[in-house]
Amino acid sequence: MSINFLEINNATFVASKKNKVLDLNLTIKNEGDIICLLGPSGIGKTTILRSIAGLQKIPKGKIFLKGKLLSSDIDHIEPEKRNVALSFQDNSLFPHYTILENINFGAKRNRNANYNFDTDELIKLLHLEGLAEKYPHQISAGEAQRVSLARSLMSKPDLLLLDEPFSNVDESLKVELQQNIKKILKEKKITTIIVTHDSYEAFYMADYCGILLSQTMKQFDTPYNIYHYPNSIEVVNFLNRGILVDAKVLDESSVEHKCLGVIKGNFVKKYKKGTAVKLLVQPDDLEHDDKSNLKLEIIDRKFRGTNFIYTLKTENDDLIPVFVHSHHIHQHEIEEKFGVKTPIYIDHLVCF
Amino acid sequence: MTFLSSRLKPLQMFNRSINFWYVSSFAVSLFVAIPILTVFSSYFSSTSEYMELLKTTFLKDYIINSTIILVGVLSLTFIFGVLSAYFVSFYNFWGVNFFKWSLILSFAVPAYIYAYSLTAFFENYGSLFSLLTWIFGEYNYNKHIPKFDGMFGAIISMSFSLFGYVYVLTRASFYHQSNNLIEVSKNLGLSAKESFFKIILPSARPAIVAGLSLVAMECLSDFGTVSFFSVSTLTTGIYNSWLAFDDLNTANQLSFILLIIILSLFLVENYSRGGAKYHQNTNTGFRKIPKIELKGKKSLYPIFFCLLIFLLSFIFPLSQMIYWTAKFPKYFQDTNILELNLNTLLLVFLASLVLISLAFLINFGNRISKSKILDNLSMFSISGYAIPGVILAVAFISFFSWFSDTLTKNFGIISIKNIFIGSIFGLIAAYFVRFYSLAFNGIKSSYLKINQSIDDSSYLLGYSKFRTFRKIHFPNLKNSIYLISILIAIEIIKELPITLILRPFNFDTFATKAYAYASQDLLEAAALPSLFLIFWSAILIFFTSKHILSEK
Repeated sequence: MSINFLEINNATFVASKKNKVLDLNLTIKNEGDIICLLGPSGIGKTTILRSIAGLQKIPKGKIFLKGKLLSSDIDHIEPEKRNVALSFQDNSLFPHYTILENINFGAKRNRNANYNFDTDELIKLLHLEGLAEKYPHQISAGEAQRVSLARSLMSKPDLLLLDEPFSNVDESLKVELQQNIKKILKEKKITTIIVTHDSYEAFYMADYCGILLSQTMKQFDTPYNIYHYPNSIEVVNFLNRGILVDAKVLDESSVEHKCLGVIKGNFVKKYKKGTAVKLLVQPDDLEHDDKSNLKLEIIDRKFRGTNFIYTLKTENDDLIPVFVHSHHIHQHEIEEKFGVKTPIYIDHLVCF
Repeated sequence: MTFLSSRLKPLQMFNRSINFWYVSSFAVSLFVAIPILTVFSSYFSSTSEYMELLKTTFLKDYIINSTIILVGVLSLTFIFGVLSAYFVSFYNFWGVNFFKWSLILSFAVPAYIYAYSLTAFFENYGSLFSLLTWIFGEYNYNKHIPKFDGMFGAIISMSFSLFGYVYVLTRASFYHQSNNLIEVSKNLGLSAKESFFKIILPSARPAIVAGLSLVAMECLSDFGTVSFFSVSTLTTGIYNSWLAFDDLNTANQLSFILLIIILSLFLVENYSRGGAKYHQNTNTGFRKIPKIELKGKKSLYPIFFCLLIFLLSFIFPLSQMIYWTAKFPKYFQDTNILELNLNTLLLVFLASLVLISLAFLINFGNRISKSKILDNLSMFSISGYAIPGVILAVAFISFFSWFSDTLTKNFGIISIKNIFIGSIFGLIAAYFVRFYSLAFNGIKSSYLKINQSIDDSSYLLGYSKFRTFRKIHFPNLKNSIYLISILIAIEIIKELPITLILRPFNFDTFATKAYAYASQDLLEAAALPSLFLIFWSAILIFFTSKHILSEK
């Protein structure tokens, strides 16, 4: 049996009396995998990173890196001996060193690493040109965050931990940085755990995502599966994927909703005929069709750039969101009737 | 296996918490607590006859005198301090930048030196007499010259040397008030005058109270001035019962009364200082209050007031001392001024070294162990600052006499009294108790400016705790070490009672030499050491003025 790269067994993480994560199990099988932990703020995501880095002790459970025990309720390897780098969300640059000195501060640490960085190359990739001789108080928060990231990379860690790495970075730069970072991490096979509350960032960066809600890991899966097969109502609500409506299972490939009628598709889980379920309806599940007989009242319209989201009200008071492309020939006003194409087909029928 | 590990757990928890940092923090706190513990324990031990006598005769006088002086000094320092702070903070007038910092030069003149100048100037055939004779010719001016002595002289001397505390804290509070607040109040329809009385002054109140409680503590601790003017107060009572009656017990019992009063002031000060912090949010959104330009006649009031305070608090004692030093050059030969300089330097060097290294050690320990217990323990250990020098010195003697006697009695060890009493070592130890808070708080406040995640980053990049200290902490704290040494130096140069009581035989500083001459009625001879004292303190204050004016 091969050894897992990182293993967290039944570990409890305590941030404060209210905020803790209980009995967490997390396994990273392969070196070079990128994991994103998603969850609302204050849930304890940062605490998990701090504990893996060794800045905090864990009261219960065990953490192994490459088969070596790092933390348990009894043992605790000091952070400087773990070779785990954590890039903080807030500014943690050494104020009396220049940006270049900061970046190179940990460079000598790991001589045995099987990868290497060129400082100049890193500076270019992270868009830090022209800052080398400046001091931390002379640069912006977003720049400081990128310097901190560069510093962590330069120390060539076995495991890289990033705490909201792009939270202070300009929206316009974010996408490019995400691409660059992902490329570096994949090229050098650096195993990384990223904490974020931005689900799109997580879906783009990660090989696997973990959803942390109310003190536990609700779901751990690939981004695709998390998006299309959320395993609980909490995850649906957290990702803000759509709404849940009451429906009845008709047969192996269809359900019936009071107003929307028969909805066809493939069930994610098997249900007995006649079971009352809550069906997930997502904005991209319904299609607009002016000629359709199924007309619903519009109660809200949001402009989202590439599309509009219309909120429709059914006769039994369900509020259903529908995407319509912005270039659609005409717009509909609130209180107008809106046609929905029938019969409705939803690829994955997610029911609870 | 699991059985064994669960058995080991409590032991390991114990080992984790009782480590080097706890032991050293605890040792420092215990050492600093010695004077307080001694005073408290002796209060509840048997009373001597002298104490009984005191209770029926002088004790009331002591307390009444101390109270009168306190009330007088508080009123005067309030007027001097708040008014001058108000002028330099809100108005622009001729010389305002000079006054802003020159007013803190008053810190260079301790109250007892001020008292010598006051007496020298106004006494019969004193400097004022000579001055009048020189201008108006021979005449017996003595009966027309007012005499500033006794209680009145003590109040004047202390007020001019202590008002700086009120000035500095009030000014800082005025300074840190954001203009936003004032603009909001104007926007809500308050006039400039109303904004001052409803917004500015109330929010400076904690700072003023903190300044006044510092003044009160210093005033009650004062020994040199009241002793020079022969006013019987609690401090002179303590000193006399030790020196004249060789009655340590009574001295400690008097100390108890004074200590209770002072510790309550200490609490008031800490409490108000906490409140004073609220409006010092110098982060974003802070805008300086634009000053009001004063020109012509209107500007004469603040100029006159600030100039008067500056002349009286600093120039007057300085020129009196210069005048006498020049007038009586023969004391140059009688006083070994080089030795006084070297002695002071030695004390400053040793004390700074011990204070700063231990303050560093404890702060570093608190930081890396992040323990609440350690934090509280160190809060306790800075209380030594509140203990008046006289009490500290007398309690020090009582404790080490008792300690040494107990050792001799029980273990037959030869007396170790001389190690602590009348030695440089003992003197430094007492300074340590007195000034530990200065060093500890100084280093703590600069440590607080280093974000915890900076330490964490350094560990995560593979640097050990010790290397983090060397590469990250130390370079960042270098400036504050420099600053703290200067502040310690100023305090030690001005310190009188501890040095006087605990110094080795024939070992003098400027302060003790001046005191010795002054108490022998040789004020002319006291001028030279006093002048040196003012000179060195003023220079050191000059170097730290930026810090004193911004943060203190």
